[in-house]
Amino acid sequence: MQPLIFTRFMTVEGLAGWPPPVFDPAGPFAGSITTLAWVLTGMAVAVLAIVLLAIWTALKGRPALRKRLGGERMIWIGGVAFPVVVLTLLLIWGLSLTSGISKPIAGTDMRIRVSGEMWWWRVSYLDGQGREILRDANEIHIPAGQTVALELTSADVIHSFWVPRLSGKLDMIPGRTNVMRIQADKPGVYGGQCAEYCGGPHALMGFVVVAHTPEDFGRWMASRQAPPPAPATNEARRGAALFASAGCAACHAVAGTSANGLAGPDLSYVGARRTLGAGILPNNRGAMIGWIGNSQAIKPANRMPAYTMLPAEDLKAIAVYLEGLK
Amino acid sequence: MTSETGFDPKLYDRFPTSGARPRGELEELERIWCAPKGWQYLTVVNNNYVGIYYVGAAFLFFLLAGILALVMRVQLAAPLMGVLPQETYNQFFTMHGTVMMFLFAVPMVEALGIMLLPQMLSARDLPFPRLSAYAFWAYLVGGLAFFSSLFVGLAPNGGWFMYPPLTSTAYSPGINTDFWLLGIGFIEISAIAGAIEIVVGVLRTRAPGMTLDKMPIFAWAMLVFAIMIIIAFPAVILGTLLLEFERAFNWPFFDPTRGGDPLLWQHLFWFFGHPEVYIIFLPAAGLVSMMVAMVARTDLVGYRLVVLALLATGFISFGVWAHHMFTTGMPTLSVGFFSAASMAVSVPAGIQVFAWIATLAVGKVRYNTLALFIIGTLIIFTMGGLTGVMVALVPFDWQAHDSYFIVAHLHYVLIGGMVFPMFAAFYHWAPMVSRRALSERLGKWVFGLMFAGMHIAFLPMHLTGMMGMPRRVYTYLPDRGWDLPNLISTVGAFVLAAGIALFVIDLIRNVRLAPGGGNAGNIYGAGTLEWLPTELYSTRSIPVVKSRQPLWDDPDLSKDVEEGRYFLPGSVTGNRETIVTSPLMAEPQYLQIMPGPSVWPLLSAVFTAGFFLLLTVQAYGAGLVSGVLAILAVLRWMWETDRPVKQPFVDIGAGINVPTYVTGTSTHGWWAMVVLMIVIGMIFLMTVFSYLYLYGRSTRFWIDPPDAVSLALIVGGAALSALLAAGSRRALLKGDGRKRLAIWLLILASIVISAVTFIDYRSWLAAGLDPEASGQGAVIHAFIGLQACLSGIALLMAAFVAARGARNFIPVPRSNVIDLPAIFIIFTAALGAAGPGLVRLFPGTL
Amino acid sequence: MRGKAVIEKAACAACHAIPGIKWPQGELGPSLDGFADQGMIAGRFSNRPDLLVRYIRNAPSMTPGTAMPAMPISEGEARDAAAYLYTLHDR
Repeated sequence: MQPLIFTRFMTVEGLAGWPPPVFDPAGPFAGSITTLAWVLTGMAVAVLAIVLLAIWTALKGRPALRKRLGGERMIWIGGVAFPVVVLTLLLIWGLSLTSGISKPIAGTDMRIRVSGEMWWWRVSYLDGQGREILRDANEIHIPAGQTVALELTSADVIHSFWVPRLSGKLDMIPGRTNVMRIQADKPGVYGGQCAEYCGGPHALMGFVVVAHTPEDFGRWMASRQAPPPAPATNEARRGAALFASAGCAACHAVAGTSANGLAGPDLSYVGARRTLGAGILPNNRGAMIGWIGNSQAIKPANRMPAYTMLPAEDLKAIAVYLEGLK
Repeated sequence: MTSETGFDPKLYDRFPTSGARPRGELEELERIWCAPKGWQYLTVVNNNYVGIYYVGAAFLFFLLAGILALVMRVQLAAPLMGVLPQETYNQFFTMHGTVMMFLFAVPMVEALGIMLLPQMLSARDLPFPRLSAYAFWAYLVGGLAFFSSLFVGLAPNGGWFMYPPLTSTAYSPGINTDFWLLGIGFIEISAIAGAIEIVVGVLRTRAPGMTLDKMPIFAWAMLVFAIMIIIAFPAVILGTLLLEFERAFNWPFFDPTRGGDPLLWQHLFWFFGHPEVYIIFLPAAGLVSMMVAMVARTDLVGYRLVVLALLATGFISFGVWAHHMFTTGMPTLSVGFFSAASMAVSVPAGIQVFAWIATLAVGKVRYNTLALFIIGTLIIFTMGGLTGVMVALVPFDWQAHDSYFIVAHLHYVLIGGMVFPMFAAFYHWAPMVSRRALSERLGKWVFGLMFAGMHIAFLPMHLTGMMGMPRRVYTYLPDRGWDLPNLISTVGAFVLAAGIALFVIDLIRNVRLAPGGGNAGNIYGAGTLEWLPTELYSTRSIPVVKSRQPLWDDPDLSKDVEEGRYFLPGSVTGNRETIVTSPLMAEPQYLQIMPGPSVWPLLSAVFTAGFFLLLTVQAYGAGLVSGVLAILAVLRWMWETDRPVKQPFVDIGAGINVPTYVTGTSTHGWWAMVVLMIVIGMIFLMTVFSYLYLYGRSTRFWIDPPDAVSLALIVGGAALSALLAAGSRRALLKGDGRKRLAIWLLILASIVISAVTFIDYRSWLAAGLDPEASGQGAVIHAFIGLQACLSGIALLMAAFVAARGARNFIPVPRSNVIDLPAIFIIFTAALGAAGPGLVRLFPGTL
Repeated sequence: MRGKAVIEKAACAACHAIPGIKWPQGELGPSLDGFADQGMIAGRFSNRPDLLVRYIRNAPSMTPGTAMPAMPISEGEARDAAAYLYTLHDR
């Protein structure tokens, strides 16, 4: 599966436009909630219609009708009996749905640990024993048609993981691990965004879930086991050297090189990502240069300092180097 | 008819009295309750003034927070707008939520209570007028200072819910968060003060004959409101204290790396935060219940059902807090419980809605502005309630939570449940405080704009949320389809604002405040007591109440009341006074002498504000001075209280004699002290909850408690202190000769309980407990801090009693000045034994 | 306005402040405010549409060493973007 070199401004179909993602599920976990959402919407509209009708009757209705409406009996029927019946039915159904969605994790589920960090997502793919087999950031790759268990946690403040087309949201809380299961029925790209206010550029903390066919996913996973290709051109080699000397490696890691910083996103395959800056910019060379040079102007208060002191050609060299990491 | 206090209800038949009233009686009443002049407007305590100030200030904050909302709506009108930078936007939405909830909604309903309740109950004033004045000034000064933080870019930016760890020093090192904690501190103080005032006012100062069953619904609603404040606010008081301790002293209540837990904050905050919604809604619902009856010109259908609904709402609302936490990964079982409770709470809401509809159906509706706002309330609130039922279902909430769907839901609930009723109330009660009513012609426009604007602004947000737009984002990227609904919402916000602006114009054009007499009067033909002719002393005489709508049932009532043919037609002691009645049947019990205007509540409030503000900006020395001055000002204000008058018994009308000075469990002071002790007890219970909660999370860093000797010393000391305090009361009973002994016993009791606290502290110190090292250390230090604070108050009380003793201001053989400190010390001693006992015996290595 | 869409999706504004694009407002490259009234592109080429389109699509081929990369957009898209830039007059 070849990632697109150039993406639309937002490739993130899951968060894009019409139909509303909550009503357009792409997997079973979101699907059952969508059914519920339709039923609840119907319930709300119907009850509202009844209440409006009652108000209208009270104000303008025939005297006989008004008389019937104007007694304590009506309060018992409309205010007690009716809601109790409707709510009890809804509750029973809702609770059975809840337990269906939050069944315990099956041992065979694929495990991915996602940690919310201010203001990006650290992604670790785990093997059956919980060992990390692959590190990535801001993109989660899953095989379509399979249930994947996401172990959600946080390294700093509370974030919330939300991919509306795949599932409801679940908070990422420091000191805890919450487990969410997602499944995408078909290959595709599903957008997500942080849903719990986490300070600063909370609004600009997005990510994507990429679902592949199981075969593609297997190939993808295999290809990621090796370090990314070494820089091929002079400019890229110069960029790699600058990457090391300018201090980038203090925060970022690139597999197979001496860069092993852990504070920021892993950049081993950054060239293959769909977006930059945690789901906000298209990944092209120009955006990369702009981001490295002065990410503060793009995503204020993010943790990466501006590198305005680097001359233009250096920035470009680094961008060329990173672009080749795919 | 049975009696509650031994009062013979036949005595009510003596009213209305006949015969001429003595000359000069009315003039004296007017002199005693005279209007302030010049600077005296700052020292008034009369609810007619304080109520109006309070309503005005709360409305000011409503406008300010509304302006913030408008600016935010401009920023969100299109993707990637640059009107508000990220940081400023974060401050704006935090302030919008905080100001609307804490500086507008709660104070506004409390203000309406202070303004309307004495009138509705036909009391001369609320039982603690100076406390109202203090609460108001603390709120105004604190609120303005808090709001001003926005102008210097230091406003809080962590959201109105202030979740740690985002608000811990690690991620919010600036003083922005401290400003939030400060602002909330004020509102906590004034809310608790107001709640005490309202509980005692509603239960003890009703007009004779107004049994609980005849109370106006609003009084019921305010009673439930006040009780809910008393139970709910301690959770947020404790929460804010713990967060400030964590920030100031590095005590890790919410830090998971040291045995704290960020979810503890969420539990504390929402245990307060959800009841808070009903705290706002119930009084407004009470107003609607009264106004619906007025609009339909008939009695409210289902009065008792509505009262039951109010009580049920209050009760159930304490079982729903965790529905704000459905996405935190709670166990399925608790999710089920909270989901069920959240749905159950809609039943009492349904009862009220249908009671209102039934009342409209029975009566004959006048289509004035008031009626429009009532109908608007019904529709908007129902819509908010229905989306509330939707999000009560957990799986749906997983999608809707923290999205714009919730923004829509909560604005429907709060605007329908509080803002529209408030505007209806403005139209309805304006003639009570103003020479002119508000304009009907403009009013219909105000309603139309507000109703349309409200829907245009918030209806699309349901969709925006389902389209995936999260809350609290300062901007959003294009190409997501969110542009159009957001633009519509922005347009709607301005339409809504236009309606409110028109209302403000109407206010300026028509409202001519007349706190005493000369108001427009009962233009709607309402039937409750606040529509009796009033002056600054409220009604000339206090009527006997025989029904729920006395003015409808007795057409002569207004005339008779005005001619002084009922209770207390003048001042019998030459002081401000009101009748204290029994809690259930409202039988006259005694005459309360009320304090008059004073500068001390104002000064106390200013210095209290100074204390917190100066601490926030880290001027510790000046802050301390201000704190001491605040305490001195409070003591000075208390100095003038509780002075018996010469006449032990007085005739309050028709030959009915009541005492002027009573002590013990029937006094308003005792009741207030009990309410205060419940508040403190709730803070204590919340601390216990925090302790157990953190214990349940992790005991990795916990140490063994000190040995049994310390516990024996503490329990023994606490018991001794309680005995000494009880002995003090007994000694005083023996007469003048034992007065000095009584005072000494009280002083000793306060010293012993302080020593107990110190022993507790030392024993933990010796055991090696470090407040910074673990959740255990932090919570136990919170316990000790609470106890130290109570002990300090006990010492202050003892010193105050000693000072009054020295000047011979203590009546013998019974005195509230001894009684109230004594029960406070006994209570402190009980907590002083319970807290250390708990943390030593559980987890239990002793 | 197609040009604006191209500029937005290619994230030109990651480096250049461009009137009409509210976010981002990159500070790395020169601001393009008043670009229509500028005499030169990058100080070297006269400000003509054909050169501008070429420059946008492949700046390094015209000024080696520039930080501006070749932009992965089509000829037509570059023309749209250029058209937008020519609406930016001095204020």
